[in-house]
Amino acid sequence: MLKLLIPTVMMFPMIWMLKPKWLWSMTTTHSLLIASYSLSLFKYHSTAQWSNMSFTMATDMISTPLIILTCWLLPLMILASQNHITTEPINRQRTYITLLTSLQLLLIMAFSATEIILFYIMFEATLIPTLIIITRWGNQTERLNAGTYFLFYTLAGSLPLLVALLSLYKSTGSLSMISMFMNNSISSDTWTNSLLWAACLMAFLVKMPLYGVHLWLPKAHVEAPIAGSMILAAVLLKLGGYGMIRMTLILEPATKSLAYPFIILALWGIIMTGSICMRQSDMKSLIAYSSVSHMGLVASGILIQTTWGFTGAIILMIAHGLTSSALFCLANTTYERTNSRTLLLARGMQIILPLMATWWFIMSLMNMALPPLPNLMGELIIMVSLFNWSSWTILLTGTGTLITATYSLYLYLSSQRGPAPDNILLIEPTHTREHLLLILHIIPMVMLMIKPEFIWGWCW
Amino acid sequence: MVNFVNIFREHWVNVLVPLGFVIGVYLDRRNDEKLTAFRNKSLLYSRDLKPGEEVTWK
Amino acid sequence: MSPYILFVMLSSLGLGTTLTFTSSHWLLAWMGLEINTLAIIPLMTNKHHPRAVEAATKYFLTQAAAAAILLFASIYNAWYSGQWFIQDMSSPVSTLMTLAIAIKLGIAPMHFWLPEVMQGISISTGLILVTWQKLAPLALLMQISHNIKPELLIILGLMSTIIGGWGGLNQTQIRKIMAYSSIAHLGWIISILHFMPALAMINLFIYLIMTITMFMTFNLLNSPTINTLAMNWSKSPILAATSALALLSLGGLPPLTGFMPKWLIIQELTNQELAPTATLLALSALLSLFFYLRLSYSLSLTIMPNTHPQTLNWNMKTTTPLPLSLMMMMTLTMLPITPTIISLF
Repeated sequence: MLKLLIPTVMMFPMIWMLKPKWLWSMTTTHSLLIASYSLSLFKYHSTAQWSNMSFTMATDMISTPLIILTCWLLPLMILASQNHITTEPINRQRTYITLLTSLQLLLIMAFSATEIILFYIMFEATLIPTLIIITRWGNQTERLNAGTYFLFYTLAGSLPLLVALLSLYKSTGSLSMISMFMNNSISSDTWTNSLLWAACLMAFLVKMPLYGVHLWLPKAHVEAPIAGSMILAAVLLKLGGYGMIRMTLILEPATKSLAYPFIILALWGIIMTGSICMRQSDMKSLIAYSSVSHMGLVASGILIQTTWGFTGAIILMIAHGLTSSALFCLANTTYERTNSRTLLLARGMQIILPLMATWWFIMSLMNMALPPLPNLMGELIIMVSLFNWSSWTILLTGTGTLITATYSLYLYLSSQRGPAPDNILLIEPTHTREHLLLILHIIPMVMLMIKPEFIWGWCW
Repeated sequence: MVNFVNIFREHWVNVLVPLGFVIGVYLDRRNDEKLTAFRNKSLLYSRDLKPGEEVTWK
Repeated sequence: MSPYILFVMLSSLGLGTTLTFTSSHWLLAWMGLEINTLAIIPLMTNKHHPRAVEAATKYFLTQAAAAAILLFASIYNAWYSGQWFIQDMSSPVSTLMTLAIAIKLGIAPMHFWLPEVMQGISISTGLILVTWQKLAPLALLMQISHNIKPELLIILGLMSTIIGGWGGLNQTQIRKIMAYSSIAHLGWIISILHFMPALAMINLFIYLIMTITMFMTFNLLNSPTINTLAMNWSKSPILAATSALALLSLGGLPPLTGFMPKWLIIQELTNQELAPTATLLALSALLSLFFYLRLSYSLSLTIMPNTHPQTLNWNMKTTTPLPLSLMMMMTLTMLPITPTIISLF
């Protein structure tokens, strides 16, 4: 993994020593270089599960797509935040890019860690750069509140996880993911075991976020600058899903009986947050709630503990990562032109910015999971495995799909179609940078349409 | 005559990330060798590699 | 204060603590503590104003009371067991002794004097109060730790972390907040004391580093309240940014140094079948984290669009001294070398 980590570390001196006029172009280039090199992780050397082994790190079919998504996101974030950061003093620009790069470093280490404690530390360590991005570069005073919510929700969930991990370590003597499935697993016959089970999963369910503990997410998304929203939606939420996939391996017999309330909450959350989206007036908040809804599907797919469930979860995580990140970019382009996230103030944009309307259309279709996009594949696989688990779930997941389609169309129609409002008189044309940004979101989706095995996880 | 010194002064920073690749790949290779060093010496798994056969895992 | 007198006071401050460290006899240990107390009182009233006198009086009264209880407990112990060795403490007396030392340290139910005293004295004297002055009582506590009931220490520790976190929530004065932070950290130290004194030492070491960093920063930035903190980004932007991180390190967020003692303590408590206690301790750290977060918000995270909340001091120091930079490095980046740190103790 050093072949990705050392170049990422080398980004730091580069960021601080570049001439100001080269800062943005060169950081984009080099991070893109790292991202394209990260594709080499797809070559699995071994017939066993793990490849690229080193002392504390390795990759497998679950973590590789997420690592590559992380690397891919960095150039996109740098591209996306150019417009609003370049007005600041040069040192703050450098600090901002440093924070984004440090997030990539921490996330790569989190996803490739084979020791759960290392994963835990990196999971927590991502909090600090994200907190700084949200509270330092957010736009409104509520950002402080959002940052506090973000930090305390996550920490309140993850401190019990630390205790649980250490007590697991005490009973099994090892917390290595590689040998973890051979450990004594937890059965649900005592109260302490149930609590241990809950402590092991709660941190990830909060991060995911599960409906009921999701309140930090819309706040954080609404207040964060564009790069913060992108990385939060695309990768940080996936830390939760990834952690759940890893942890549930040792929680096997207990999960069967204990997961019911969480699956119910997740499925119910799909409907509830979808319904919230349908009456949302804030563009970023809508996208954030749609993330919660999609993540509910992922959480229930993981909690039912079937191979198909895992596969669907990982496909949906990757697809949703790219889609929601692209939607946030689109919302940001509108925000930079109208200076408002309100849907009412940005109607009829199709007449003014027609090509942008095309992107909106494609992204809305992605969000509602149109065939043959990977989103559809993920949703279908999870729905099928849920149906197999209990046929009644089709009521909830089916309604959820319907609602997703409805609010995606609502987002598209209300922002793009109709007559242009009178308040938009003078509007900046779209930039090549923004089109490039969106194309770079779409290209991986199209590629994955052609060869989806890359994100099939263990099913490959 | 292109001023090479100037170009170097302006752009030498761009060497850092590729240099990182080189160092990283080198260290990874070394680590792979360390991990695979004893593979064919264990009694349980030792066998003769066919001519031209790649190592079975890295 | 004349430099000669300052020298005498500082050296007796050192002498008192050293005397307590080196003694195996309760009377000498008590004497060291008394020398210590008497030496810091002139330092507290160095800038002679009513608040400083009040603080010194409060400090003297509590410390004298604690020393009296300590003397009583050691005499009782001598009468009961016939010897004065510190390490052989009979069990009923050790409870009394623990409480006396807890008063001296400012551990939770006996903590009320600490924020008040801290508020009255200057930042640099406050630094002595929360670092050097803790060493001698903690050394005594560590020596008798195997005789103290673990329940007592854990209850005191939990109360300290919770009350330390809780008390700091509604404070706006930096020194009071730092006093509460010290109470919370001491709670962590004494909750592990019975099970693993070496770990308590590590925690003390890290606590000293982080606290010294923060006090040096506040001293340099000359900011007694949260409001004045908010202007420091214009004095020294890098220091403002790094000290925000140092505050998060005090709060115990990974990957900063402050996470290390918390992690190790939670691990040891879990090993002692005390997982619920460990969870409570960990969650009580969130209370302290809240006010650290508030400090770092105003220190560096809310700067750009705001105008200054008050006028700037016109003679500001801008260069960061080397010791502060070194301490800052240690405050932020020691987590990866945890094994080395462990092997030191």
